[in-house]
Amino acid sequence: MTHNVDSSPRAGLPWARTLRWLVAVAALVYLPTLLTERQIFGYALSNMQLLNIGLSQVNLMLITMLGALSLNYLTGSAGLISIGHAAFYAVGAMSAAITGSQWGWPFPAVLVAAALSGALAGLFAGLPSLRVRGLYFVLSTFALHYIVVFIFMEYQFKFFDVVGVPYKAAELGSWALNTPTRWYFFLLPLVVAVYWLLHNSLRTREGRAMQAMRDHELAATANGIDVRILRLKAFAFSSSIAAVGGALYAYYLTNVTSEFFGIQFAIQFIAMIIIGGMGSLPGAVVGAAVWLLLPSIINGLAAQAGDTTGLVRSMLFDHKPQLVQPIFGSVVILLLIFAPWGITGMVSRLQAKFAARRAKS
Amino acid sequence: MTQALEIRDLSVRYASKGLALDSVSLSIPKSGVVALLGANGAGKTTLIRAISGLLPLHGGQIVQGSIQMDGQSVLGVPAHTLVRRGLGQVPEGRLVFKQLSVEENLKVGAAVLPRATEKERLDGVYALFPRLLERRRQAAGWLSGGEQQMLALGRALVTQPRLLLVDELSLGLAPLIVSAIYKQLDLVGKTLGASILVVEQNARLALNFAATAYVLERGRITLSGPSEEVALSAVVKESYLGAIKQEREA
Repeated sequence: MTHNVDSSPRAGLPWARTLRWLVAVAALVYLPTLLTERQIFGYALSNMQLLNIGLSQVNLMLITMLGALSLNYLTGSAGLISIGHAAFYAVGAMSAAITGSQWGWPFPAVLVAAALSGALAGLFAGLPSLRVRGLYFVLSTFALHYIVVFIFMEYQFKFFDVVGVPYKAAELGSWALNTPTRWYFFLLPLVVAVYWLLHNSLRTREGRAMQAMRDHELAATANGIDVRILRLKAFAFSSSIAAVGGALYAYYLTNVTSEFFGIQFAIQFIAMIIIGGMGSLPGAVVGAAVWLLLPSIINGLAAQAGDTTGLVRSMLFDHKPQLVQPIFGSVVILLLIFAPWGITGMVSRLQAKFAARRAKS
Repeated sequence: MTQALEIRDLSVRYASKGLALDSVSLSIPKSGVVALLGANGAGKTTLIRAISGLLPLHGGQIVQGSIQMDGQSVLGVPAHTLVRRGLGQVPEGRLVFKQLSVEENLKVGAAVLPRATEKERLDGVYALFPRLLERRRQAAGWLSGGEQQMLALGRALVTQPRLLLVDELSLGLAPLIVSAIYKQLDLVGKTLGASILVVEQNARLALNFAATAYVLERGRITLSGPSEEVALSAVVKESYLGAIKQEREA
């Protein structure tokens, strides 16, 4: 989503910008070393100093980001909300099972196949959007979710067994993705590329047309935009990205069952974009990060506090899983009350406030 | 000679309700400016929707009659393709794309044009409304009502339409701004040679602006003719210009 307030002279120096980019890249490149060796420049870090986060969680977060990004693209650009994004993950996983596990295609080809089948499924799923709007459309994606999960289950039991669908090791040519670090360096550029793709697509003619359609369908039509085709395109595009996420998810976990794609899996994407900021791409990134990392941070804190005294210890330590959920839930509720526009919305509002104050003084 | 717009015996119905338009006939000559007057609920917006193909979106249905643009029927033609056939529209309530910038709004309007002409057409709109040029990077939602109306008009003009439908342009705007926008609209009509249909509640304004006027009441055309004659008719004086009423009060 673009908030084109008059361009402010914010950090106008070009070298400062470049420097910031370099620091960000360096930090992201150094992150896997930090998280696997658990020390920084020879100084060992405790578990809590690293917020109880491991590289595997970061990788899962990156994979989940694809889903959140694609969903937020759909809401932000086309104004559609879907509960079906878990279903597209399942479509991706199933397509990966057929092409990869059964037909033995190489990993990159599997990903392409997943993208295509996701787009196709998205096209079908988008069809109701031609006739129904709002909540009714959301419900139709809800139905889609159950249909896809059912098909996945039937498929799994017919060709595999209750244990689940096994996936081969992911390889890019001779480079095997056999360590979390390698996965990280594969996933990170991918997520960045998808982000960049989505970001730029909003600046094309079609991207602008989509945003116009989101704001006023009628005015968009009056400007010569065929909203039906555009809506289908947006849906297919978004779901193909989610399906790639699903294929990656399956390969990363090496074994997947239909139960993975429960309704909670579907709801989590919606929760992520609400937490991060509806309709904004940075919001999807932040939301996915919060959703996947915060529970583990709370978990770590509970474990650490559990080392202290008797009663608190038994409370925190023995009931850790029960504690994590309500704390996490409360954080989400607080966010919704005090920052209904999401974390990124809150940040940009604060920035605007400070800028205004600076301009005054 | 074929008319820019020729409507014959048009009747429109919404769902199972009665007729919203009943045998309406209206024609706009090439480069002509026509005003459509009528109270709330008379069917003005329905007529606009019927022309622009947006009726199905609102659950409306054309029961009988014909609509021709430049001698060709537009019945059943999808709304979004009419733009390519030379129809421009300024919808009621402005409906600018609030989260897009001013320039992006205009570019949405220009999306049906070849890319090469885009810049030139945008410059044309900026020349007409310099205010839009000043604010071209601003989100459209941050503009004042008058500026939004300029933007809505500019967005429709980017394609240089042969027929322009303008729905309730003056609604909720200060009189000075309205007259400024109408002045530009007049200029556009003359330079482009576009035919214009204005729907207005401000009858005095519309009658000054247009050469021909139609009065729509409860879905029927009750009066039509040159604007001066329509302005002199007793019905219009009483209902729209408030003349007799004022005299009585005085």
